[in-house]
Amino acid sequence: MPFKAGNISPDNQERINKILEVIIAYAGLDFTKKTEVKGSDDDVLDAIGAGVNMLGEELQTSTISLKEKEHLLKEIHHRVKNNLQIVSSLLNLQSESIKDPALLNLVTASRNRIHSIALVHEMLYASVDLTNIEMGDYIKKLSNNIRNSLSIPGSDVQFEFEINPCFLDIDRMVPVGLILNEIITNSFKYAFPNGKGIISIGIHSLHGRYILLIKDNGVGVPAGFELEKNSNLGLQLIKILTEQINGELNINFENGFSYSITFN
Amino acid sequence: MNTLIPPANALNLTSFKTWMGDDGICRTVTKELAEINLEQAMENSVAVSSLYKDRKFPLLIDARNIKYMSKEARKFFSTNGRDIKITCFGIMVKSPLSRVIGNFFMGLNKPEIPARLFDSEADALQWLKQYR
Repeated sequence: MPFKAGNISPDNQERINKILEVIIAYAGLDFTKKTEVKGSDDDVLDAIGAGVNMLGEELQTSTISLKEKEHLLKEIHHRVKNNLQIVSSLLNLQSESIKDPALLNLVTASRNRIHSIALVHEMLYASVDLTNIEMGDYIKKLSNNIRNSLSIPGSDVQFEFEINPCFLDIDRMVPVGLILNEIITNSFKYAFPNGKGIISIGIHSLHGRYILLIKDNGVGVPAGFELEKNSNLGLQLIKILTEQINGELNINFENGFSYSITFN
Repeated sequence: MNTLIPPANALNLTSFKTWMGDDGICRTVTKELAEINLEQAMENSVAVSSLYKDRKFPLLIDARNIKYMSKEARKFFSTNGRDIKITCFGIMVKSPLSRVIGNFFMGLNKPEIPARLFDSEADALQWLKQYR
C-alpha cells in the first residue's frame, strides 16, 4: 500500500522534515547532524532515521579519507615543484661561472625547460581540484619567465594573448608547457636581432580539439631555408612532444615564424 | 518485543546477555534499546570467546531490541582480520529499526564467515546447526 501524503500526521511530517534536513546536511558534507531515533517497535521513520545516521557515518569516513588523499597529492605537487626549483636554482648558480656563450645557452635552455615543468606543479598545487590548470594563467606566467630569463638590456619584446578559457590536466600540460617554452625561446633567440618584436599566443577550442597558435613578427628565415636541414634540438623536442599529445604540428615561416598545434 | 530468554547463568554484559546453549550454539541477546559502541562490541566478543572449549561454534545474535550500533562496532562485528572462535553467525531482526541496522551491517561490512539475517529463531537455528 503506498505511503500517501494524506496519511501523514503533523508529528510524522515534522520528523520527515528533520530527516530531510539531515540528508541535505550530509549532501553538503556536514556530518555533525543526526536524526533522532526513539527505538520504538514498528516505527518506520525510526528505521529510516537510523539508516540515514549510519549512511552519514560511512560517508564521513570516506570523505575524511578523500581529504587525506587530496592533502597528500597537494604535498607531492609542492615537493616536486620545490625539488625542480632547486635544480633550476643550481643551474642558475652554475651559469654565473660559465664564460662560453654556447654552454651558457644550453644551461639556460635546460633551466627554462625545468621551470616550465615546475610551473605546472606549482599551479596544480594551488588549483582547486589538483588536476587541471587554467591554460591562460600558465601561458602568461611561463611567457614572462622566459622574457625575464632571455631578454637583453634595452630589448622590447611584447606578448599578445588571445586565450579562450580552457583547462588541461598534467598529462597534457607538461608537454604543452615544454612546447610553448621551446617556441617562445626560439623567437627570443632568433626572431628579433634588434631586440624588438611581438610574440602572439592564442589557444582556442574547436569541436573538442584545442588549437594552440604561437606567432612572432620577427625576421623569419633567409631565402632557401629548409626546416628539416636546420632542425635544432628545440624543434625536435616540439615534434616529439606534439606526437606525445597526439597532436598535429604545422609550421609556417613566411612572415616571421608561426606554429599551429592541434590536439585533443 | 519477545526475545530469547537468557538462562540464569548467562554472562551479563553492558548491552548483551550471552550464553552457550545445550545444542552447541552460542546465543547473545541485546538488551532493551541497546546502543552498541566499539567497547560493548569488544566486551561481547571476549565473552563469546570465553565460551570456547575445544572447537569453534555457531553464534545466534538476537538483535530484535537494538537501537543503535556505531560504525566502529559494525566494523568490529564483521570479524574481518580477527581471531574468532565462531564458525558463523545468524542475526535475528524483527522491528523495522533492527532490520535496517541488520541489513546495513550485512550490506556494508561483508563478514568473512557465513552470516545471515533471520526473522524466526527456528529458521536461524536450523541454518546455524550445519556449522557446529
